[in-house]
Amino acid sequence: MQTNTTETQFIKTLRTALGIGQESAGARAAKIFTDPKDPSPEQAAIVKTIKSRRDKDHMALLHHLSREAVPLNLNVIPVKDKAQVSKAIANLVKETGPEWGAKKSVVQWDHPLVNALDLKTALKDQNVPVHTAAFDTTGMDDLTRSKARDRVRRQMIDSYIGVTSADFCLADTATLVMKSRPKEARAVSLLPSIHVAVIGKEQMLTNLKELYALLKYDPETREAELLPHHMTLISGPSKTADIELVMVHGAHGPRKLYLYVITG
Amino acid sequence: MSHDAATKKYAQNAASAIKDEILQKALNKIQSGLGKATALSYQNLDEGPDLRLAAHDIREKTINNLDVVLTRLAAKIRENGGRVYFARTGEQAVEYCLKIARQHHVKQVVKGKSMVTEEIRLNPAFEARGIEVNETDLGEYIIQLAGEKPSHIIAPAAHKTRQQVGRLFERKLGVPYTEDPPELTRIARKALREKFLTADMGISGCNLACAQTGHITVVSNEGNIRMATTLPKVHVAIMGMERVVPNLEDHDILFRLLSRGAAAQKLGGCVSYIGGPAGPEFPDGPEEFHLVILDNGRSRILADPKFREILCCIRCSACLNVCPVYGKIGGHAYDATYCGPIGAVLTPLMEGMNQAKDLCLGESLCGACQQACSVNIDLPRMLLELRYRLAYGDDQWETQPVSVAEKTIHQAWAFLAGHPALYRAFLRTFALGQKIFPTSRGMITKMPGPGAGWTRSRDIQPLSQTPFRKRFKKLNAKKAHG
Repeated sequence: MQTNTTETQFIKTLRTALGIGQESAGARAAKIFTDPKDPSPEQAAIVKTIKSRRDKDHMALLHHLSREAVPLNLNVIPVKDKAQVSKAIANLVKETGPEWGAKKSVVQWDHPLVNALDLKTALKDQNVPVHTAAFDTTGMDDLTRSKARDRVRRQMIDSYIGVTSADFCLADTATLVMKSRPKEARAVSLLPSIHVAVIGKEQMLTNLKELYALLKYDPETREAELLPHHMTLISGPSKTADIELVMVHGAHGPRKLYLYVITG
Repeated sequence: MSHDAATKKYAQNAASAIKDEILQKALNKIQSGLGKATALSYQNLDEGPDLRLAAHDIREKTINNLDVVLTRLAAKIRENGGRVYFARTGEQAVEYCLKIARQHHVKQVVKGKSMVTEEIRLNPAFEARGIEVNETDLGEYIIQLAGEKPSHIIAPAAHKTRQQVGRLFERKLGVPYTEDPPELTRIARKALREKFLTADMGISGCNLACAQTGHITVVSNEGNIRMATTLPKVHVAIMGMERVVPNLEDHDILFRLLSRGAAAQKLGGCVSYIGGPAGPEFPDGPEEFHLVILDNGRSRILADPKFREILCCIRCSACLNVCPVYGKIGGHAYDATYCGPIGAVLTPLMEGMNQAKDLCLGESLCGACQQACSVNIDLPRMLLELRYRLAYGDDQWETQPVSVAEKTIHQAWAFLAGHPALYRAFLRTFALGQKIFPTSRGMITKMPGPGAGWTRSRDIQPLSQTPFRKRFKKLNAKKAHG
């Protein structure tokens, strides 16, 4: 089973079916793919609009988000500063209990905004541990790395609240956009029963179209690749309507999602 | 199965589905709820409902350049450390997945909902080798526990009542009986969480890949696909070769339409973009990622210009939610991987026109499916084209002419229509002769021979004793005199 032979054969079959030859492939590719360095006027205008947004525009988007979030069961909470978020999370921990197991614990990303909440201090008097789901792999051998991965996984399984930030938030669909990064474990927003996300209002975008324009045509947002190896969009907590089309929240992922937007 | 037996089975399935009150209620709920909501959601698009036409253009352009688009997708994924396997047949795809499972000593698999894995019969192949396969979409999980097949592309257990699910869980999972949907969901959540945490391989389909960035995207509202593609060490995704678009801009348009067509949503609840494995510096995510790109008869469809358009389909299932035939007979009556209007076109092309002829003959040609289609595919045109090939036979598709009797009748009719004197004589004779058939309220209720098929389920209007020709003449005469 040589991959390359099967691929060549496969592509050849397609060309025969389409009645076209290999020689036109280059020209067709140039025509069908748009160039990230050469945006169409429409795409360039989208990027320009995003870049020219001011405080009041971001507040308008936040307002739009708050409306769209309601039917999705997503709790959007605008707050003045980080201290308010820490306080709110401490309250949440006080008022809620774990779904699996008996002991309360919280897991978080290693992210500047999340770190600045100083949850360890905020939860100290409740005696609830706060884990950071990250480790530095530099110089680690495979076995140590594998053990570190297992440890972080255990923490994410055991914690009932996961605290993250996000790259962007799309107002129109109430969507959190998260690119995967080494210090931002994917399962922090997946395994705990409650997901808490914290962002600044300047991270608001209107919709998917704006997100893609930014990822592709904005040199400041674009990384070496247009997208990392993994990215997630989350619009509200997990839900299902598979039994008699009755809507139920919390099928697999978090059952509750709180989004704190710092308005500054 | 012989062709006659297949026809008998389709008719029987349909008849028992129509008598099944529970199913009728469920189908009604889907169509009056989802069907209407989707139509409204197209109206509410920023660009208006014509975005469906733009989407059709994108899909056509993609399919016409599929060689270039797939080459780019595969190259980008390999650059990102993923492996790509091109499978000509379903068997090859299954073999490849099994090979990966063997390499990793896999004992337990968690799956995201995927129609293409139904198509290639992946689950039975894994189970035959002693590997446990767990469906994790709640609907699929219910179906798997019940040992049934999905009856709808995105609502696979729509035909089951909460009481049936309650009894099923009581029997299979040993939990106390409940018929409360939130409680039933909680039971499944608990059982499946165990599976997610212990599985050593995740398998998913692919809703729509983006070639330029080199990613597949998978959507779920439950979050189960995020689980299945994040927690196990190995992730294998299988995609029909047509499920791709070239650029992010195209992805935006198609993805929004997919969400609306499938569930009348602006965007699916959880979307994962997957372009490769998580590198060693990442604390979680699969360490290996495989993408299987599947042909399995699709290139044959691609080669036929009249049917190529069906490859534009993104399997949103909106056509099921409006089709009057699906709305009465449900998904199981089609007895195929894909049901509804999309299945009625795809199944004959994938499994043989003669074998699956009833699926396209059974549809009504009303055109509701095209109106509902998120990418405006002309399904009625292809249903007619299939009927044409079935009537005349087609060597390319190894299709035999279906009914010699029907063809002869049509030929005789054409001859009559071309000979007015004979035509008039025929009508006169038939208008007299029809008096021997039983009637009720002026309608013929029973005819013998080839006419019996018609009157089995509906009455037929008798020929008028005064033909229109005569009345027309009389009217004209009146007009001339008056």
